[in-house]
Amino acid sequence: MDSYLLSLLQLCDSNLPIGAFSHSFGLETYIQDEKVVNKQTFAAWLKIYVRGQLVHSDGLACKLTYEAMVRCELDKIWNLDQMITVQSFARETREGNYRMGERMIQLGMELYDIPTLALYQDRVKAKQSYGHPAITYAIIAHHLQIPQSTAILSHLYSCISSLVQNGVRGIPLGQTDGQRLLQEIQYHLLEAQRLIEGLSEDDFGIVSPGIELSQMRHEQLHFRLFMS
Amino acid sequence: MDHWTGFLRLAVQRKKETTIASEVFHQGALKVTPAIYFDDPQQPCFYLMSLGGGYVDGDRYKLEIHLGEQAQMLLTTQSATKIFKTINHPAIQEMNIVLERGSYLEYMPDPVIAYEHAQYQQNTIVHMNPGSVMIYGDIITPGWSPDGNWFCYHTLQIKTQVYLEEQLVVFDHLQLRPANDPMAGIGLLEGYTHLGSMIVIGERTDPELMERLSESLKCCSSVAHIGLSTLMVPGFSLRVLAYSTQDIEKIFRSVQKLIREHWFGKQVTSFRKY
Repeated sequence: MDSYLLSLLQLCDSNLPIGAFSHSFGLETYIQDEKVVNKQTFAAWLKIYVRGQLVHSDGLACKLTYEAMVRCELDKIWNLDQMITVQSFARETREGNYRMGERMIQLGMELYDIPTLALYQDRVKAKQSYGHPAITYAIIAHHLQIPQSTAILSHLYSCISSLVQNGVRGIPLGQTDGQRLLQEIQYHLLEAQRLIEGLSEDDFGIVSPGIELSQMRHEQLHFRLFMS
Repeated sequence: MDHWTGFLRLAVQRKKETTIASEVFHQGALKVTPAIYFDDPQQPCFYLMSLGGGYVDGDRYKLEIHLGEQAQMLLTTQSATKIFKTINHPAIQEMNIVLERGSYLEYMPDPVIAYEHAQYQQNTIVHMNPGSVMIYGDIITPGWSPDGNWFCYHTLQIKTQVYLEEQLVVFDHLQLRPANDPMAGIGLLEGYTHLGSMIVIGERTDPELMERLSESLKCCSSVAHIGLSTLMVPGFSLRVLAYSTQDIEKIFRSVQKLIREHWFGKQVTSFRKY
């Protein structure tokens, strides 16, 4: 059995206390617009969220960070942190990510001894970097010797499993529907991971206009369960 | 590869109470009109022209725009950027803009219209210095095909990066590939056809301006889907989904008007094209 398995399960548990339950990343806007109303429409949203947001931002950032860790190119990681943060036009999504990033770095520091993560935390404290969960995840995964492809795929899964739980609460849906969605999305996550393996820095940050617009419009919603 | 289908370098500088063109160099299929002054001697307006009437297979265009300290410029195009069929190599436009301290640029090009099978890559890099102001807006249309169908182009890729004092502050990357993704679908264009993006950066962006913008944009919600959010630096971005270029232009103009009133107590300049 791989020695990293249990650490990996711990890392992508949606109960990881980094605050993911507070962020819908625009899903709530679709719920209030009555475009995401049931399992079927939520499944369509999840698919486009994977392809239109996760692949070219969080997923690709995870891969590029992992590669930079292998080559000890730390400047690349700090650049990525800047890119992935300013890449979002939506203030709440940016804030959500750097708040989650900061908490994940802190948690990583409590659990492991990773020099790069300590540097990352110093940079965040000195306001030289923002902190981002995808980058933090890759740094920890590299430290745990989780293979790159597994790291990318499991990070995609952890993003989606949090969102499915938030959707179950927000739409609302039954817990069983939530589990079915998590099962059905697996194929799309595998496809996304394969796609990410073939991407380079030039492809970074491509965003789906509607997804991003929903994240920008979330600021204007009157009643909100989520912070983004 | 240093061969460009069209190359243009335009620099302006402040001279006493006015801004003048200090360098105009063009080669190949790109040209620019002489400075036109509307109401304000500080603000010359320039119209970019592509001589071929549109971009074709393998075309590569490069534009360099430089605003000296305290200089001002209004920049637009003479007509839409048309991208014709590009089967082998995408048409490419690279644009570098430098805004020195205290300079002011409004760059509002006409929309991009991509024809059937068109591939287009646009890369814009802006370097801003303290006290400079940029108002930038672009529009992507659903394109054009002989049989009247929309979204028949192959790929539109628009990347815009803004640096403030060498620090990356905006990274916007859009890629529309109608053959791969259903454009009208959820998450893409949400049933709309036209996409407008506006980036405004200026130190005088304050909560009052944002409040006024958000209030004034409410009236457009029947014709467009609008997202407005502040950037990491003083400034904001606006994303608009609508059914026509005119609707987006109207929204952009109302934003320009508010900014000009709020920041400078000025009226908005009409480019007087039509």
